Amino acid sequence: MLLEVNDIHVYYGKVAALHGVTLEVSEGEIVALIGANGAGKTTTLKTISGLRPLARGRVRFQGEDISKVPAHKRVALGIGQAPEGRGIFPGMTVQENLLMGAYGRKGDVSGDLAQVYEIFPRLAERKSQYGGTMSGGEQQMLTIGRALMTNPKVLLLDEPSMGLAPMLVAQIFDIVKEINERGTTVLLVEQNAHQALQLAHRAYVLETGAVVKSAPASDLLHDPEVRAAYLGGDLGVA
Amino acid sequence: MLDDLSNQFLPSTVGGLAAGAIFALLALGYTMVYGVLRLINFAHSEIFMIGTFASLFVLTTMGVTGPLTGFALIGMLLLMLVVSMAAAGGAAVLLEQVAYRPLRKKGASRLAALISAIGASLFLQEFFALVVIPAVFDKAGRNTTGVPRLVDRDVVFTIGNANVRTDHIIVIVAAIAMMVLLDQIVNRSRMGRGIRATAQDPEAAVLMGVNIDNVVRMTFLLGGAMAGVAGMLYVMEYEVTQYNEGFVLGIKAFTAAVLGGIGNIRGALLGGFALGLIENWGAIFLGSEWKDVIAFIVLVVVLMFRPTGILGESLQRARA
Repeated sequence: MLLEVNDIHVYYGKVAALHGVTLEVSEGEIVALIGANGAGKTTTLKTISGLRPLARGRVRFQGEDISKVPAHKRVALGIGQAPEGRGIFPGMTVQENLLMGAYGRKGDVSGDLAQVYEIFPRLAERKSQYGGTMSGGEQQMLTIGRALMTNPKVLLLDEPSMGLAPMLVAQIFDIVKEINERGTTVLLVEQNAHQALQLAHRAYVLETGAVVKSAPASDLLHDPEVRAAYLGGDLGVA
Repeated sequence: MLDDLSNQFLPSTVGGLAAGAIFALLALGYTMVYGVLRLINFAHSEIFMIGTFASLFVLTTMGVTGPLTGFALIGMLLLMLVVSMAAAGGAAVLLEQVAYRPLRKKGASRLAALISAIGASLFLQEFFALVVIPAVFDKAGRNTTGVPRLVDRDVVFTIGNANVRTDHIIVIVAAIAMMVLLDQIVNRSRMGRGIRATAQDPEAAVLMGVNIDNVVRMTFLLGGAMAGVAGMLYVMEYEVTQYNEGFVLGIKAFTAAVLGGIGNIRGALLGGFALGLIENWGAIFLGSEWKDVIAFIVLVVVLMFRPTGILGESLQRARA
């Protein structure tokens, strides 16, 4: 198992954001975490990458307990996160942003940079533009490209479709698929459940800080409860 | 009045540039710490004061009693520079460790950090007045301490009716050299990239593998070292220091940082030189006792029209 999250509890002050989330991701998979706003999806990702401290529970990566490893050291282990929304460096150019992804790496990264530009030709066109002046979709691509530059074994994607036009959403999902096919495991957080379930191999449904369902994604697509709650009823299959 | 202006404009410009160079060096520390931590490091003025006393210590220990020339002068200046940078940089790192880091780790509010900063500022002043100055320099802690003249006030060249002296040149050249060095570190080195990333988005920086604790330590070290340079140049140029010498100067340097756009390194340089020039030009009309008033009127007026300062806030635009 590449990544195991075991009964994690996380608090914001005295308020529990997660109480007992357990999930697993194997190598090569795309796993989706779906759920409503505030269900704890983002908190789960941030706990895996180490940005949020654990109150209880354990995170294991490649069999090692990394619960106590500080966030900045988890990157080198192979956990790359593309943060939600506009987590780019606005005052750095596109290329500088991408090279920040290789901050902790030694040796030549020009091959990886070329690969990111191949996946995102749009970024190659805008190499020397400042991150803060890019459109929402381009910034989203930049956060994903930058996370790829950390050379991750597992890529944590936080709401890659947020705020994007439908056409762009489809494009981003295609790219996620391509990244996975190139050999990177993906753990994807999405509110856009329909598309996430079509892309993922397996999925977990989060409700108020706990996992309420886990199944192969295709099963969840046809699960009446999931359809009623997250896929807009019958319209979802249209 | 117009006579005053034409007679004094160029000499005031030279004096203004020298003063501005020192404001700018000191402003860098305020602006860098603000950029990374969104904290006004109120005790930065005491880091400067420590820099002045470090240079005074070198002069006393080396037995300097009168002006030096040639290689002796260059050697002495370099020694003062190194010792002041080390003392001030080290003190700044220690300050962060003791006064700010524990609060940051506990997630304390920014107000708590500001109060801690003011406390640290007063502590350092009193520590020097009560302990360090009497013990090390054998002088009354609260008196102004004169500094022996190190550089002769020789006129090197003149621009119109303005005499440009050796000491002016040393101050301005040294300050600019240090600023270029800092700019290179921040914009070209790996640690500099970490500093800029942290200033722009700390959480994203962590996700890139940036160790925020190291970035903060390095920010205080660099800012402190620049305050050390400022202290050394100040002692050489104005030949005086005391336990609270940093207070007014610190407020002015902070003003310069805000004027240029707090968090913005090039803004701090611009703000520093602008403030030095405006103060000295204003003094032509109103007399030099009005310098401080002029400085703050300028600040208020600029902020009324450009609340984020001349170049705008934040390290993120450091290269723009």
